[in-house]
Amino acid sequence: MNGAWVTFKKELFAYLVSPVSWLIAVLFYLMRGYELSRLVAHFADNRLDQELLPTLSYGLTSTFLMVMLVPGILTMRCFAEERRTGSIETLLTAPVRDVDVVLGKWGAAAVFYGLLWLPSVLVLHVLEYGWFLDADLAFGPVFAAYLGMFLLAGLLLAFGCFASSLTDNVLLAALLTIIFCFGLLRLPNLVAGSVDVAGNYYLRELLDKLDVMRNFAEWFARGLIDTSQVVFYLGGIGFFLFLTGISLQSRRIA
Amino acid sequence: MIAVSDLTKKYGAFVAVDRLSFEVTRGEIVGFLGPNGAGKTTTIRVLTGYHPSTSGTATLAGFDVAKDSLSVRKNLGYLPQEVPIYPELRVVEYLRYRAALKGVPAKGRKLAVERAMDKAAIADVARKLVGNVSHGYRQRVGLADALVANPPILILDEPTSGMDPNQRLRIKQVVKDLAAEHTVLFSSHILAEVQDVSSRVIVIHRGRLRADGKPHELLAQGASSRVFVAARTGAQALAAALAPVPGLLAQASDGEALGIARAHCTFAPGGDPAAAVGAQLLAAGIAVCELRPDLPSLESWFHAITEGCEVETVR
Repeated sequence: MNGAWVTFKKELFAYLVSPVSWLIAVLFYLMRGYELSRLVAHFADNRLDQELLPTLSYGLTSTFLMVMLVPGILTMRCFAEERRTGSIETLLTAPVRDVDVVLGKWGAAAVFYGLLWLPSVLVLHVLEYGWFLDADLAFGPVFAAYLGMFLLAGLLLAFGCFASSLTDNVLLAALLTIIFCFGLLRLPNLVAGSVDVAGNYYLRELLDKLDVMRNFAEWFARGLIDTSQVVFYLGGIGFFLFLTGISLQSRRIA
Repeated sequence: MIAVSDLTKKYGAFVAVDRLSFEVTRGEIVGFLGPNGAGKTTTIRVLTGYHPSTSGTATLAGFDVAKDSLSVRKNLGYLPQEVPIYPELRVVEYLRYRAALKGVPAKGRKLAVERAMDKAAIADVARKLVGNVSHGYRQRVGLADALVANPPILILDEPTSGMDPNQRLRIKQVVKDLAAEHTVLFSSHILAEVQDVSSRVIVIHRGRLRADGKPHELLAQGASSRVFVAARTGAQALAAALAPVPGLLAQASDGEALGIARAHCTFAPGGDPAAAVGAQLLAAGIAVCELRPDLPSLESWFHAITEGCEVETVR
């Protein structure tokens, strides 16, 4: 595991010194700050149930962009850039297992993604203790919501690593990931809307299980953690990291 | 330390390396020569485990590159032709990262990095960003990376490419000094470098082995039947005096200046043509100024064996 840890540290450092990462953070918080202030004002004006606030903040455009665009941007360089510059050759000829490289890179992307969300905890603090609101936040749903977000992000980042290992074109890698994110989030919904699934039990169940957006609204955001969904995301993460490892190993196999 | 047997690498229908076999023993510095596109880098990539071979085997330090790649890589320091860069890291940070990746224990890491930087003479750029150092320095950063874990085998792919003459001289000295502790295989298409540094050269062309031996022996084998002579006489008189020498196939006059005529003679293989020429000129009463086996230049020898004419392929 030494290789994974060393790769993780180096990759996390690369994220922390990359201007792109900071640009994402700045844009995200500018947008999110504006949206949250609007949302809070809306709640205050209309005397809505304060406990719904974390749930509703899920639906903000900034959340959507964080899930749709950011995984692709964060992971596009993982392997594509190494392939483009040729540093993949020194990396893969070092005495480190491919699986360690994959875990290190994905771990760094996941932790950095977590760091991007970290300041949003401050918003909870403001909501809980702010003088202008008398909210009594339920932290259970908040915790479940964060967990769900990280599981989903972990899956998208794992796919991003895989896409990045397929090409030496970083833009193509980002695009593939964004298409996947869009597909995962929107496709079940679109299919269910355009095909008559009422009579087809299996299709309906499948689409139901795959509908990430609805799962979030009905489970994680309400503080409900469904083991089958946790397994779904963890399995997806493992699956795509495995594919990434295979993609790296393929150059060693005749 | 390195054993390659019948190694073949094909890219589709194109055969990049064709049944290549050679060995490198412990403590040798072997120059791996060939024109551009000869298959040097492909061979090296197979040896480092970066690419698989199509057929044949290769072992480094006793481990098969295909079956036990990780063990091979633990015993190997590799400098690729184009040293890749992580522009965001400083030189010393990059080397520390590489040392950690190669499993150098945390305790000895600082020392290992300093020692590698000393050997590659890059201590003066230690705090610079890797992306900001010149090409020559970057190449030496790559060399320091190959050395940092102190592996028994070093494979250097064109270590001096893109360097100025001073840097080249320094790298050659570094490589020479490595022989004490390491087995070195380094590729180049610059012949003079290989001759200065290596104890043996392997020449490949179009993926095939063309020559394998000590540099001066290979040259001498190709040159044994040619003699250069300079004597204090006229060009025609010299030609006439040389004509009866046994085994003479051809002679080419190199002109006459300040009363000294020069000529290159080609003899049939075997015998000692220089001695025969000396004896003949002595008998003819001509004062000999210079008489030596006519070594082809390294360049012409290289051209000959890689283009497959003039000089016989030597093994």
